[in-house]
Amino acid sequence: MLKARHPLGIVFFPAYDWAISPTHPERQERLLYTQDQLREEGVFDIPGVTELKPDLATAEDVARVHFCFPDVPAVTTTSHLISAGGAIRAARTVMEKEAERAFALVRPPGHHAMKVVHGSRGFCNINIEAVMVEWLRERYGPLRVAIVDTDCHHGDGTQDVYWNDPDTLFISLHQDGRTLYPGTGFPLELGGPRALGTTVNVPLPPGTSDQGFLFAMREVVMPLIEDFKPDLVINSAGQDNHFSDPITDMAFSAQGYAQLTEMLGADIAVLEGGYAIQGALPYVNLGLVLSMAGLDYSHVREPGFDPAAVRQSDKVTGYIEEVCRDIVKEARHPRGPGKGETVNGWFSRRKTLYYDTDAITEYQTESVRLCDHCRGVVKYETESTRNPLCLGVEAPIGACERCVDEAYRIYEAGQIKGEYRHLALMDRVGKNYLSFTG
Amino acid sequence: MLCGIDVGGTHTDAVLIGPEGVVACAKLPTNHDDLLASIREALSSIVAVAGPAAIDRLTLSTTLTTNAIIEGTADAVGVLVSGGPGIDPEAYRQGGHYHVLAGAIDHRGRETAAVDLDAARDVVDAWLAEGLRAFAAVTKFSTRCPDQELALRDVLAGRADCVSLGHEFSGRLGFGRRIATACLNSAVWRVYNRFCDAVEQSVADLGMTAAINVLKADGGTMPLSVSRTQPVQSILSGPAASVMGIIAVCDIAEDSVILDIGGTTTDIAVFAAGAPLIENEGIAIDGRPTLVRALRTRSIGVGGDSAVTVSRLAIEVGPRRFGPPMALGGKVPTLIDALNVQNVIAVGDPRASYQGLLDAATPHGFDPEEVAEAAILNAVNQIRSEVAAVVREINDRPVYTIFELLEGRQVRPTRVYVMGGPALALSALLQDAFSEEVIVPESFAVANAIGAALARPTFSVELFADTAAGRLTIPSLGVARSVSGNYSQAAAEGEAGASLRDYLASIGADVDDAPIETVELSSFPMVEGQELAGYNIRVACQVRPGVSGAYKQAVSKQC
Repeated sequence: MLKARHPLGIVFFPAYDWAISPTHPERQERLLYTQDQLREEGVFDIPGVTELKPDLATAEDVARVHFCFPDVPAVTTTSHLISAGGAIRAARTVMEKEAERAFALVRPPGHHAMKVVHGSRGFCNINIEAVMVEWLRERYGPLRVAIVDTDCHHGDGTQDVYWNDPDTLFISLHQDGRTLYPGTGFPLELGGPRALGTTVNVPLPPGTSDQGFLFAMREVVMPLIEDFKPDLVINSAGQDNHFSDPITDMAFSAQGYAQLTEMLGADIAVLEGGYAIQGALPYVNLGLVLSMAGLDYSHVREPGFDPAAVRQSDKVTGYIEEVCRDIVKEARHPRGPGKGETVNGWFSRRKTLYYDTDAITEYQTESVRLCDHCRGVVKYETESTRNPLCLGVEAPIGACERCVDEAYRIYEAGQIKGEYRHLALMDRVGKNYLSFTG
Repeated sequence: MLCGIDVGGTHTDAVLIGPEGVVACAKLPTNHDDLLASIREALSSIVAVAGPAAIDRLTLSTTLTTNAIIEGTADAVGVLVSGGPGIDPEAYRQGGHYHVLAGAIDHRGRETAAVDLDAARDVVDAWLAEGLRAFAAVTKFSTRCPDQELALRDVLAGRADCVSLGHEFSGRLGFGRRIATACLNSAVWRVYNRFCDAVEQSVADLGMTAAINVLKADGGTMPLSVSRTQPVQSILSGPAASVMGIIAVCDIAEDSVILDIGGTTTDIAVFAAGAPLIENEGIAIDGRPTLVRALRTRSIGVGGDSAVTVSRLAIEVGPRRFGPPMALGGKVPTLIDALNVQNVIAVGDPRASYQGLLDAATPHGFDPEEVAEAAILNAVNQIRSEVAAVVREINDRPVYTIFELLEGRQVRPTRVYVMGGPALALSALLQDAFSEEVIVPESFAVANAIGAALARPTFSVELFADTAAGRLTIPSLGVARSVSGNYSQAAAEGEAGASLRDYLASIGADVDDAPIETVELSSFPMVEGQELAGYNIRVACQVRPGVSGAYKQAVSKQC
């Protein structure tokens, strides 16, 4: 008889009635075969494995994380609120000890959604991991959280949300941005001036197979997590590194994913991308579930899988070893914030962002106050092809009194000046969320 | 007239029902070593009243198969399995004759590795040499493509008494459940068929020509002839008989809860819009999950004979039972004793009840009345919170579409029906605990036999069509055929319903008395390389458990 060594809650929500468009990779069919495989294997019959129904995230859950312009309803649909609610349900399961670990097998994904949202980027509207983490912090107090993103695409959204947060370690393993969307995630992207070294990027060359991924896990991810000592480890479990994925160029296998999962030992996993819906997802998800539950996964393999046929070249191996050495060094001893300028005690960086799914271009300036007492109030001035100039101001968790006052002063001054169409204030200290349309 | 016999653990109940109501009934102690004798005796007493020709239909509910499995008198089964990628099939091992063959079918029903028939032949030769005659063949995803199971059946053809193929039991997924179901079916096949022979003989001896049906765990019936090939479906029908009895006797139309408070346990069943809820996947037999459909019931260890335990911190009832209440000569005070002390009932010797509770209460500084009151309250609270948990679980069941998540039907019971020995005694307290209306139907000694007599046939079909691969299967009817590219969801729903109707007609069921409903209907566009390749269509149709309308009027009471 099987029995889960680590009791596992699975929030399975395939959204069988939702698609971006009929032939889009994010379509009704995406998790159909995964569900068939999990049910046929009898995963939900295993003592210690429980299937859970997602919660429905609220607009406030979203407004705690994102500056949505013009407002939350305009950039989200019910499917996004259920997907984020699925992640919240997973987190709740772990925090309330209904299970030791949880996996939110939900869609649509979220890791390309940034702090400011004008629409959909990389199939993502809201960052479901971030909505979950901030929901947790709102209820359970300040938690140190490590998010390890194993999707093939750089988790640029999660990186952006946590760029200035020293209590969130974000590590992304992904196909090198010079060869794949979104084109970011290089080793010198290390976080904002008050959070240096808590953003870590591990770009891997096309063709990286199990060996390379597991090397990066062992040599970079695990030691940095150990340094950080998180209260919770979260896996953004994208599955598009698979050798059969139609939109990427990597060579990872179901066995490799299961081994990575075992090594990481995440408390919570949240599904991200992965679009080889017949040949990869059923097996990768099965491997992930068994691995998280502490069950034998050695018989999980893709039909006709030949490891020799996808094994990475020696050149790739050598390159990865070199890159990983440098990354650990940079993360432990960051040389200073990257691009940006310091003016009057504020550090600012400018971003031009493209929303591929909705064809929007955004121009944004993010400024963080260089405070000696807290991580500093952050303001976002943003305009896009969809919205005129807008303002978002955040007094983050643990902000000092002066920074909180500063946040309200900026928000009110912005209303008086009248140069912004939409304004939003996020006061995480007073749990107060305001918005105003001029 | 319709005759029902329920062979229970303690009593065998029989009833004969005509258009005007109950014509005859009997209650006899069950002879555990000879269930047939119990049936024969019950039948004789019915025939003695009405004559053999009056009985048109006989429905049996027996514990024969359950006993065979639990007591280990079932046959050893040679189990051939092919798994392919996934959980190690060893996890689903059944018995000592279990062989995993190379071979694999994927989730779409495509063969991704051929089944090793040579190895199968060798294993079968060895098992036959050991004297095995009962076999099962099960492959992963055989509901999507039964070819490998059929090939294994051919290997066994003419050399076995019984071969159970996994896909014949259900179209639902669940490899481990399918293995257990097929294996149990073969294990009880011989003993069950011998029993059927004897039942048919007895019926003939009594001069009866009635059609013989067997009750299933889902509260429906099947003809005896069908049960001969699927004996596993006759398992654990006892609780179903009781629930069907309540449906027959009371006119349940709304969402409601049924509590059957017995000696050892309280059984909880939930009705949605008047029909009992079915277990989603299937019942567990001897700890093994199967694909056998069953009513969704939950038992908790609170009953009349449940022990009362007293400590400084808590006074609790159950879950253990150490024998009868002290009022009836037991050694440990029970819920019945507590009710005796509070003068709610008067069972046996009330002084023994009082003495028992006094002895339990004194060391902790309580008086017996205090303990009795707290114990009764504890029992009622346990029942109430378990009912709340059951209803919550039903309403929290996973759903897979946004529509269902937002608009899905919620079960909201408005009535609680209470049956069993302590029912009346606890009803006032239960009414205080429940916001729903609590109803104690007038006791009816043979309600379970009435349930068996009036239950109508149930069956379910699952249709799976993959128009990209051009394949269609209805596993429980043995249908596997090719399908054209323009086969639609509407066509699939029509075909599933028609197949189910045809099947019911073929087993002699009154099709008008068996309403067919579609419980699952979906069609997924399948995209390959940006192009629409076809549709993945799934339909499930069923006949819900219910009672024959024509006779229901005759036995209905005001509840």
